[in-house]
Amino acid sequence: MLSSIRILEICDEAGFLAGKILGDLGADVVKVEAPGGDLVGRRPPYLGGIRDPERSLAWLALNTSKRGVTLDPESSPGRAVLQRLLDQTDVLLDTFAPGTLDAWGLGWDAMQRQYPRLVRCAITPFGQTGPHAQLRARDLVVVAMGGNASMTGDPDRPPLRCTLPTSYYHAAPEAVLGVLMALQARETSGRGQLVDVSLHECQLGTLLGGPGLYGNSPRPPRRSGARSGRTREIWLARDGYVSFGLRGGPARVAGLRAMVAWMSESGAAPAWLCNYDWEQFSPATLDDVALARLEAALGSFFASKTMRELYAGALERRILLAPCNDAREILAHPQLRDRAFFTTLEYPEFGAAIEHPAFFAKAGGLRVGIRRRAPRIGEHNDEVYRALGLEREEIAKLAAEGVL
Amino acid sequence: MGESGVYAGLRILELGAGAAGAVATRYFAEQGATVIRVESAVRPDFLRLSHARAGEPVDLDAAPMFALLNPDKWSVSIDLRKPAGVDLVLRLADWADVVAQNFAPGAMDKLGLGPAQLLARKPALIVVTSALFGQTGPQRHYPGFGGQGSAIAGFNHLTGWPDREALGPYATITDSLSPRYVALLIAAALLERSRGGAGQHIDVSQIETGVYSLSEFVVRYSANGESVVRAGNREAGAAPHGVYPCAGEDAWIAIEVASDGEWQALVAAMGAPSWAREPRFATAAGRVAHQHDLDAHLAAWTRESGAYLLMAQLQEAGVPAGVVQHLNELLQDPQLAHRRHFMSLDHEVLGVLPYERSGFRLSASPGGFDDSGPLLGEDNDTVLGEILGLSAAEIEQLLVDDVIA
Repeated sequence: MLSSIRILEICDEAGFLAGKILGDLGADVVKVEAPGGDLVGRRPPYLGGIRDPERSLAWLALNTSKRGVTLDPESSPGRAVLQRLLDQTDVLLDTFAPGTLDAWGLGWDAMQRQYPRLVRCAITPFGQTGPHAQLRARDLVVVAMGGNASMTGDPDRPPLRCTLPTSYYHAAPEAVLGVLMALQARETSGRGQLVDVSLHECQLGTLLGGPGLYGNSPRPPRRSGARSGRTREIWLARDGYVSFGLRGGPARVAGLRAMVAWMSESGAAPAWLCNYDWEQFSPATLDDVALARLEAALGSFFASKTMRELYAGALERRILLAPCNDAREILAHPQLRDRAFFTTLEYPEFGAAIEHPAFFAKAGGLRVGIRRRAPRIGEHNDEVYRALGLEREEIAKLAAEGVL
Repeated sequence: MGESGVYAGLRILELGAGAAGAVATRYFAEQGATVIRVESAVRPDFLRLSHARAGEPVDLDAAPMFALLNPDKWSVSIDLRKPAGVDLVLRLADWADVVAQNFAPGAMDKLGLGPAQLLARKPALIVVTSALFGQTGPQRHYPGFGGQGSAIAGFNHLTGWPDREALGPYATITDSLSPRYVALLIAAALLERSRGGAGQHIDVSQIETGVYSLSEFVVRYSANGESVVRAGNREAGAAPHGVYPCAGEDAWIAIEVASDGEWQALVAAMGAPSWAREPRFATAAGRVAHQHDLDAHLAAWTRESGAYLLMAQLQEAGVPAGVVQHLNELLQDPQLAHRRHFMSLDHEVLGVLPYERSGFRLSASPGGFDDSGPLLGEDNDTVLGEILGLSAAEIEQLLVDDVIA
């Protein structure tokens, strides 16, 4: 049923995932890029290391289930084509800087008069209006302004972001939620509305109430690196890192006992540790020497085993330990494999086949998952523009003029 | 939001604990849905214990984190270990349009409240389950929380310095990412249902939503065998791209320069010092090759200024730059104030707290919250009396039998 919903996506990388989610949900997503290709979105690295926008792996990863057309909406014939596309569109998903569409005579008021049923979802760094609406920001600045960076990283070094743009990943499902809400409202009102998505505001959701919890305290908590409070969370394994919270409290006692039992089986538990009183264990009050002794015992056990060995032992013994997986481990993960979470897409023009995460849920009625590979540059120009009523000669003429 | 909002009249029944479930249904409460949380004092939501201190008595109504993540919801306290309690939940499922739960896989099934059992009873229901690994597969019973989800899904590996531990972004990313997917799936299923679709069970794995979001990470390995590793704040091909010190304690500014134009704007904003005019910094390739030196020069300059003044100065010049805001500074952020991100709501025990809204605004459906997070069992009488139609005597008996607990 979502297949009857037509989305026109004119987005830079901040909006790729939102369009992909809608496409993977079954909506008909037509992605518009500049003639010659979206050279920002079609960024490195490239498949096989060969510099070619059609081989951009970011592009291939985040534009599945979309059709692709080229169009220069800044030219006046291009603007006319855009208007015809909008006539047949339920949702315009875009990342234009605030004011861009106004300058084209397509500000929200005008757009709504012309296309009363249209939903517009606009993803921008800070939103359409307000004192920061015109500020320039990509992922790093958004994560900084959104509060997460201040809490991420080591105390002796600068605050951190994640190496891939998580602010876009947080905003994408939220933008899709806004789109679906607006479509739901349209079922009764018959009218579309503007969904004004702020990447920055979406970032605040990553704090899980942090401003309310700590915002008024005289000294809010600071980033603490591999530790949570006084105790270590991230440990060195033989071939990488694992996450294991050395935390107290009744909920943790069973896991801590199981960990010591496991060490003991392996001959890695000193006598004092075998009889440790976990019921009374409280990291906040433990003295430094005792804490260091505990961490050294656990640390040398972890360092003697691989991430896989540790995870297998944790699964068997119901211990809250997890490997800090890299992409290779994720692709090999038995649980994900069992759920058929990966799908292989063919790229015959490159003689390549690539595995992609296939879906974000399993559902009885909704068919959630990748429907097709990302489009090549202008791959669906003929199909989309002919359906719009343009003649073949017109399309060729517009292409020759650099409009398509 | 009572009568207004996109989902005025929508009924959601929520079972579960922690952040991931609570955040997903909050979006619907913000748009007018009635969300009833089934909880109990015998096995309280661990967020109701999040403020507890060792050796002190616990007040289940005094946890700010629980309150902050559950505004506008109703709380009914039912002991699910009692058959009469299970029966009450079944009757609430009859009332509901959506049942959302995030208990361990199989836990609700054992009580007769699993997705298949609910759908057999009421085929029009939308039942959403959210679990770390989903409802199927050999590791579905792995007993993890968000911290483990973040590590398994790859976010830890991707966050940190290349010469140090894998860290993960603050506050367990799968707990904040997965509920957004749960919410959009509920919205999609509702839209389908309003167009004649049926009810269904939607099985969400929190780790899968994380890995799906990291599609680029997976694809780069599958296609090229490249294992992307945490790189501090760096971005391939861009320099300067980092977080730099400012005047004051733990004060920092993020600066991201991705083009020669932005670099020239930065040079001009700095007053074109001689180091910045060195030819080795003139091109992106040169700046990347010499980014250690570049970062040192830039940090020496940023250190002289206050972070907010510097942000204004750089933005004015056309350079993407932003203050690393601390949690307390967010409460003063003028843009968030403009968007009315924080709503001050009064809570009987905790007083006034800043409750947070979603990251988007709908022009014709403003939405919002009227009430703070509920006290445990605050809405027992309304839910049992008005919604389920129980008499005062029946409710009294449930209390006597400790079914309401």
